[in-house]
Amino acid sequence: MITRKPHIIGKPFPLVEAQSKLTGVSCYAGDEPFGPDLLHARILFSKRAHARVRLRGVEQARRLEGVAAVLTGREVNARLGARIEDRTLLAVDEVTYAGQPLAVVAAESPEIAMAALATIQVDYDDLPAVFDVEAALAADAPLVHPDMTAYPGFDQVQAQPERNIAHRVLLQRGDVDAALADAAFVLERTYTAAPLQHAPMETHGGVAQQRERELMLWLHVQAPFLQRQVIARALHIPPQDLRIITQCVGGSFGSKVFVSVEALLAAIARETHGRPVRLHLTREEEFQAIFMTPAMRARVTMGLDDQGRIIAMRAVYDWNVGASVDAFILEMQRIALAGTGPYAIPNTDIQVNAIYTHLLPAAPMRSLSIAQMHWAIEQHVDELAEMAGMSPLLLRQRNLVKGGDQLFSNFIMHANGLESCVLETVRAIGWQPERDQDPSGPVVRGKGLAMGWSPIIVSPHCKSRVTIQCDGDELCSVIVDGVDVGQGYYAFITQLIAFELNLPIEWITVHPTDTGNHEPDWQAIYHNLLWSTGRALLQAVAEMKRQILSYVSEMWEEPMSNLDIVEGEVISYATRRRLSILTLLQEGAGEGEPPVFRATGVYEASEQDDRLENILQSYAATGYAAEVAVNLETGHLTVLQLAGAADVGHAINPEGVKAQLKGGIIQSISLTLLEEMQFENGVPISIDFMSYPIATTADMPQKLHPIVVEIPQSTGPYGARDLSNHVMVGASAAIGNAIYQATGVRIRDLPITAQRLYDALRADS
Amino acid sequence: MKHDISFSINGERVRLTVHSHQTLLEVIRSELELTGAKYGCSTGECGACSVLLDGEVVNSCMVLAPEVDGAEILTVEGLSGDEELHPLQKSFIDHHGVQCGYCAPGMLISAKALLSRTSRPHEEEIREALVGNLCRCGAYADIIKSIQVASRARR
Ligand code: FES
Ligand code: FES
Repeated sequence: MITRKPHIIGKPFPLVEAQSKLTGVSCYAGDEPFGPDLLHARILFSKRAHARVRLRGVEQARRLEGVAAVLTGREVNARLGARIEDRTLLAVDEVTYAGQPLAVVAAESPEIAMAALATIQVDYDDLPAVFDVEAALAADAPLVHPDMTAYPGFDQVQAQPERNIAHRVLLQRGDVDAALADAAFVLERTYTAAPLQHAPMETHGGVAQQRERELMLWLHVQAPFLQRQVIARALHIPPQDLRIITQCVGGSFGSKVFVSVEALLAAIARETHGRPVRLHLTREEEFQAIFMTPAMRARVTMGLDDQGRIIAMRAVYDWNVGASVDAFILEMQRIALAGTGPYAIPNTDIQVNAIYTHLLPAAPMRSLSIAQMHWAIEQHVDELAEMAGMSPLLLRQRNLVKGGDQLFSNFIMHANGLESCVLETVRAIGWQPERDQDPSGPVVRGKGLAMGWSPIIVSPHCKSRVTIQCDGDELCSVIVDGVDVGQGYYAFITQLIAFELNLPIEWITVHPTDTGNHEPDWQAIYHNLLWSTGRALLQAVAEMKRQILSYVSEMWEEPMSNLDIVEGEVISYATRRRLSILTLLQEGAGEGEPPVFRATGVYEASEQDDRLENILQSYAATGYAAEVAVNLETGHLTVLQLAGAADVGHAINPEGVKAQLKGGIIQSISLTLLEEMQFENGVPISIDFMSYPIATTADMPQKLHPIVVEIPQSTGPYGARDLSNHVMVGASAAIGNAIYQATGVRIRDLPITAQRLYDALRADS
Repeated sequence: MKHDISFSINGERVRLTVHSHQTLLEVIRSELELTGAKYGCSTGECGACSVLLDGEVVNSCMVLAPEVDGAEILTVEGLSGDEELHPLQKSFIDHHGVQCGYCAPGMLISAKALLSRTSRPHEEEIREALVGNLCRCGAYADIIKSIQVASRARR
């Protein structure tokens, strides 16, 4: 597909929308200008994990001066969910997690809304609860969703409600038991990772307004079409009467894909007689009531033969999804598809379980769950290498999946950059199998490596569509169905159109996504946007070019094959005539109105069922290598350098790719060393950036090495592959392996806090 | 209790009546309708609400409005001239100092204060100056680079 020498493609390209964000423009939650008519919403969240509840004082709250509306589960008794409706819009009689909404208020000011909530008293009658996977799976455990079989969408999950198993995905091949019996070395270990918070800097919020039939929502979400569908279903509104316009998104990382408080905002706006309502959560509410990422427990067994080949692997990945699995279902398929790590193993048994507990609903975060799984696999491989007396690099190289390997009955591995990624990172930090110095002082150093792969999937029945309109008013305006959350999506679109149509970038305006531009049942792809939008976009620009050239060809009475677009002009290679497109659009050519060109491109995932290998599109490869320094006396850890490599197929915007990689490295350090969502009796006690620290500039490694590897993906636009969702995979394990090389102590639980490392060092000595 | 205060913001004088419990951030956002200073935590931990108060960086969520009587305040809206972007803003665009962009106004304000103290800061000094500005996208490396490049171009 790379037919022309790219001139913009592959060159530095800044974020097109950056300028407005840097001048303080109002486009984020809480910014919307709506004048004095604006009402303010606040939500009452449950303070207990599992209890019967009764609300008193709701009528008094309604009668308070300045209160416009109050809703509880009595008035709107609705279930909520994209696949399985295992949440409620507002609790009715019983809460199953702390943070579950109980009531929503709209009032003249945030203070009055608060006062109204304070008027409502909640009587809790505590019920037995479970907070971790072990307790939830115990024989007599209280059940989180005993009536689950009655939930809409129950057929979407493989559940065992009587055991708190919310969903299960299995992937098996060969005979693991027999192979393990034959293996020269067998190692079994358990690894864990703590629950986290996405913690975008912009907390959740938006504005809603009922305008005649139409309920308008101005939101800051990543998947407006999914949200339209879910909110419409919960509130019994025809989807064509619900319109979501996306504004800037101040970070999502997965927390603004699935519906959370947006549905409550929509519900209360239907009660305020056309007055707009704003909701903007406080940081504390964001921590206490929005999704967590699920904690992982991974039990991994691998068998190695005497040639250094991994011949068998069994892995059970248990995820504590809190009170809702809905947002995690698709992610579990990705986890299963990546379950062996990037290794070709003939006998495998991968089990991915989601376990219900009475904690916050779970949602995936970027590639976090895949990264956490590699935390287990990639340390396991190092442990296995040590057991067999092999170099961890050699063991990896010997077992890597290669292009041409038949991974599933209908999926053959494509050419990939797995090996380049690991080799490049190893070179960047000067990794070697042996520790390079003796620990003489209290500070020791060590280096570690890890690799990773992350499945890129296309959700069934989802599509991408791009419409470009060129006219005298807006020049080239673009309607898309994806959302820029900081990954450079709009820049990519602008860059691609400018390149393909050979037009100045200033002509191109990408409009914020508006569900009103698409059919009521439109389901847009919201991940792998580069790939899906890219495909649709290439179609649209080809059609646009055809339209412009055919118009001019008729006018000039010249065959279209003579014509081309060069730097904003239509030119004829035969007659040397030229016509500025700007003139054509603004003034027309000759008689009549100036023309309006409109071209659309659509990418559709195959209409197959959603069995695992049918949704699998490709794998993204990553490699990480870390050097750490550990103070043996205090447990203080410093990441000296961290190299991260990713195979992006073809870097359309190389600096943008590196920016994503560097961001992924920082986030990885943050979640590896600092982050853990903590609960007390199921109630989050991580409520701010003191109790839940995230990485600051002080936590940056001295050296960051972002490395771009390019093994083209034949089906992607210009051979490119998505990156932003995969950047973290392998980083934690590289740090874990480096700590082991430095200290001889193996940490198997995330995060590696100073306290945990200190305790482990003490236990070791 | 109410207070009549007057101060200058981005070079313009304003007079307002504020409550004693109102924060500067609330006043800037709701009364003056300037949205550049962002809400990120209201507890002084994230720096999204950073503004310059008489030339010093403060978290405006931690400053009570009555305290700014007579002061000079600069928000990100006041950084650029009418036509031209500030060199820091240009540099952020060119060097990917923006991902989702929510932290950017606070980062720019901290950077501006740093550059008025030290015209050619070292990387270490920049890191230190930004320690109170959280960026969840992890764009720190490019933000630091943007500031460095801007400082070199400025002289
Ligand atoms: S909002 Fe002021 S420091 Fe976070
Ligand atoms: S760019 Fe997103 S928080 Fe900094």
